[in-house]
Amino acid sequence: MAALLRGAVLLGGLVLMGYGLYGMLGDPFITDPVSVLVWGAWALVLHDGWWVPLLCLAGRYAVRGPVLRGWLIVAAAVTAVGLPAVLRTGDDNGNPSVLPLPYLRNLLLVLAATAGLALLLALARRWRGMGGGAGPHLREVAGGISARARRWARWAGGRARPQGRSSGRPGHGRRGSHG
Amino acid sequence: MLRRGPFRDGAFRSPLHEPRTTVVLGRWLGAAMLICFLTGLFSHLLQDPPPWLAGWLPSRPAQGYRVTQGLHVISGLAAIPLLGAKLWTVYPRLFEWPPARSVLHALERLGIAVLVAATLLELFTGLLNTLQWYPWPFPFRQTHFWLGWLAVGGLLVHVAVKAPLIARNWWRSGPALAQRRAFLGAVGAAVGVVTLTTAGQSVPWLRPLDLLAPRRPDVGPQRLPVNRTAAQAGTQSTPPDWQLRVDGPRPYRLTLAELMELPQHEAELPISCVEGWSASARWSGVRVADLLARAGAHAGSAVKVTSLEAAGPYRIMEMPAQYASDPLTLLALRVNGEVLDADHGFPARIIAPNRPGVLQTKWVARLEVL
Repeated sequence: MAALLRGAVLLGGLVLMGYGLYGMLGDPFITDPVSVLVWGAWALVLHDGWWVPLLCLAGRYAVRGPVLRGWLIVAAAVTAVGLPAVLRTGDDNGNPSVLPLPYLRNLLLVLAATAGLALLLALARRWRGMGGGAGPHLREVAGGISARARRWARWAGGRARPQGRSSGRPGHGRRGSHG
Repeated sequence: MLRRGPFRDGAFRSPLHEPRTTVVLGRWLGAAMLICFLTGLFSHLLQDPPPWLAGWLPSRPAQGYRVTQGLHVISGLAAIPLLGAKLWTVYPRLFEWPPARSVLHALERLGIAVLVAATLLELFTGLLNTLQWYPWPFPFRQTHFWLGWLAVGGLLVHVAVKAPLIARNWWRSGPALAQRRAFLGAVGAAVGVVTLTTAGQSVPWLRPLDLLAPRRPDVGPQRLPVNRTAAQAGTQSTPPDWQLRVDGPRPYRLTLAELMELPQHEAELPISCVEGWSASARWSGVRVADLLARAGAHAGSAVKVTSLEAAGPYRIMEMPAQYASDPLTLLALRVNGEVLDADHGFPARIIAPNRPGVLQTKWVARLEVL
């Protein structure tokens, strides 16, 4: 039964892909399907060859702490969505109801507001860490590393891995967006 | 063989490059993509229905298109952080060694390349379309449509190929990884913030938070956004001898003053755009059904509407009978109590329930009973 279902999904997927390809090649408005292929290839190259390696390197060498990481995921997502509007602010093709807002200011506002929340979260974690020992969440993160590291973790408000590079496990950037 | 860089064993050391995290994100992303695909398909069918379907499209619920197109853009924007996070969790797989173990494996990897490229391009073109920004050489609408089939087809193939792995990790909760919880929480927060700061362009109660969407539903002439201005359409000034021409078994013409003297009806209806924004307004004017009946149309007639604009893909619009006979469908002469602004279609425009904005023809010159 499961194999049958799996086969049906596979077949359905192939049919849909075939339909999409057939439609794209036969569409009278798409006079140059190769340009779609080229743009698709560029999207892959830029995403997998530039953006993700950049994040991985940033995650390994520059970013520490789950709260900062989390905020960077949010910031990356918001920037990916908001940046086109920032870049095109004022460029409305003569239609003032398109892009009517101060997008750079708004983007900075959202980044600042989320950074403020992240800061509060970090402070709360630190406070919990200083209070009745590391909170359950922090203990989990810090579990298995030395007592010295745990003290450091408490002090740093969630910096679970003082050695960073050598422990390396959270090394690669968590992030939320492809830009 | 000596493998270097990302090909080296253990080059990726985050414990989050593991199937459970991928499956959780994949479920969210899959749901977003599916909503996006179905609502996009619905939009396409409403906008450009094949003849066999045109008679079956419903004119109710009146807010239908607003909801589906709002969901389309909301789920598309939510998919941006989800796709990024999902691809990051499986990124090490890109450097598998050997690159292909068999012909089938090579095909699978090719399929994933198509899926990822189509999805990236789909989200990118969709995002930029909401800004009316088209830096690519191909037409947006058709390419976006066909890429959608390619992406969803690729998704199904991917799910089928990975089914055993997905099944193994669907319910699994252990081993608990605090980092996973933090990571998924952060991705969830990213989706939340993106949604809260953009969805206000179609969701009325989120309007105050509409900081990053390309539209504000209350900004524009007469506090309504515009998709195509009168200047863009070349209809800034109406011919001084403008008359509405209604063709049917008993053709007739009416001046604007005569139209204003006919029984006026009011309808609270949204303008909902394919670009994802929508805004409600109180429209008033003459019922299209009354105008058609006066021309001798029998009940159940469809109508062809022609705009004053000289060119444009929506200069001529066909309205199936169920919309034409709906009492909410108006030849609107006023919006929110004011005579229509040129950008909103002065002297007269169509407003019908559950239809894409581009089919709410502005600057109407002629109705023709079909």
